[in-house]
Amino acid sequence: MASLKEIKRKIGSVKNTQKTTRAMKLVSSAKLRRTEELAKRSRVYAQKLTEVLNEIARKMQQTNVDGIDNVFFKECETPKKIDIVFITADKGLCGGFNAQTIKRVNKLIAEYKAQDVKVRLRAVGRKGIDYFKFNNVELNNEIVGLSAAPDYQQAAEFISEVAESYVNGETDKIILVHNGYVNMITQEIRQDQLLPVDSSKLELNSVSTSELELEPDEDDTLLDALVKRYVEYTMYYSLIDSLAAEHSARMQAMDAATNNAKEMVKTLTVKYNKARQEAITTELIEIISGMESMK
Amino acid sequence: MKLLKLEIVTPNGVIFDAEAKQVTLPGSEGEFGVLPEHATLVSLLDTGVIVIDNPDNSQIAVAINSGYVKVDEEKTTCIVDGAVAISGKDSNLAKALEDAKALLKSAEASNTAIASAVSTIERIGKL
Repeated sequence: MASLKEIKRKIGSVKNTQKTTRAMKLVSSAKLRRTEELAKRSRVYAQKLTEVLNEIARKMQQTNVDGIDNVFFKECETPKKIDIVFITADKGLCGGFNAQTIKRVNKLIAEYKAQDVKVRLRAVGRKGIDYFKFNNVELNNEIVGLSAAPDYQQAAEFISEVAESYVNGETDKIILVHNGYVNMITQEIRQDQLLPVDSSKLELNSVSTSELELEPDEDDTLLDALVKRYVEYTMYYSLIDSLAAEHSARMQAMDAATNNAKEMVKTLTVKYNKARQEAITTELIEIISGMESMK
Repeated sequence: MKLLKLEIVTPNGVIFDAEAKQVTLPGSEGEFGVLPEHATLVSLLDTGVIVIDNPDNSQIAVAINSGYVKVDEEKTTCIVDGAVAISGKDSNLAKALEDAKALLKSAEASNTAIASAVSTIERIGKL
């Protein structure tokens, strides 16, 4: 049996850990609330942007017989090179949050390798970068600090570089993987095809109200600019979504940790009391037997 | 009198959602005005100022850096990157003016565009 002092020390250390995890939970829940608010506000923008993109894509589909004739919309039949952009957190202690994303990325890599497709990785967030570096997987592009504080400008810069390589034909498809926020206790892996724009996702068949006028009227100028914005924004929104999910995951993990610590303090206290009682009993027996022998 | 529904959305949220008599927009092909029941239109917006004529005849200026506008019979939606609203009623007008100027300057537009935009917001700010 461990000594009294040792158990007491252990209880102290568990209590300290509990204090830390409880504080982290509180911090995360406060941050989550803020990020949620941010996500809610930017969702409106995303909605409107998709609406306009829909409208234009629909118009182009109506005018062109063989579908939309634009580089951003043309689906490559047999992709040879694919870029995967994935978002992880910069920090750990958030349960399986990062591991889930990494797992999905690994699965994708394996899938495409089997089809003989070249895959390039672009990482956002320290945890993902560390993982793939440790496993000697080459990363094409990496950025740290963006996932903890999403910034539109920075996100746009990062993703436009990726989009450029798509336009140049260096890559045939861009996939974005991140762990998204569903609600306080659920996160969900989201995998989106960033480019070419997934035309199946656009609602091309709703009835338009009237003839749409475009300005500037060379369709491509407007559409190119719009797609660029759409891509940038999707990236930015994914970052916010991922951040919200990170906070909710951390909140959960820290809540579990606090509860576990509580459990542990309980069992340790029982152990401590038992040990103390045992010590007292032993002492009593010693005294009594000492008295007996003196008789 | 007919009014048009106007909505201005930025990545940070909706900054304007109300009815207006008329709105003047800085299109990439030139400035244009939209009245109620305008035909459906999608246009790129350049750095400049959106001027909103309120139903009570006051004016609001919104400085923007770039974006889109989608007009249809029902409503006008502006989707912009960054925006600062200025109206004569605002209490901290000076700060709003400063913010608007900084936004316009950061947009890397031509000097004439900035100058004309700044003069517009100053004019409306004084009203």
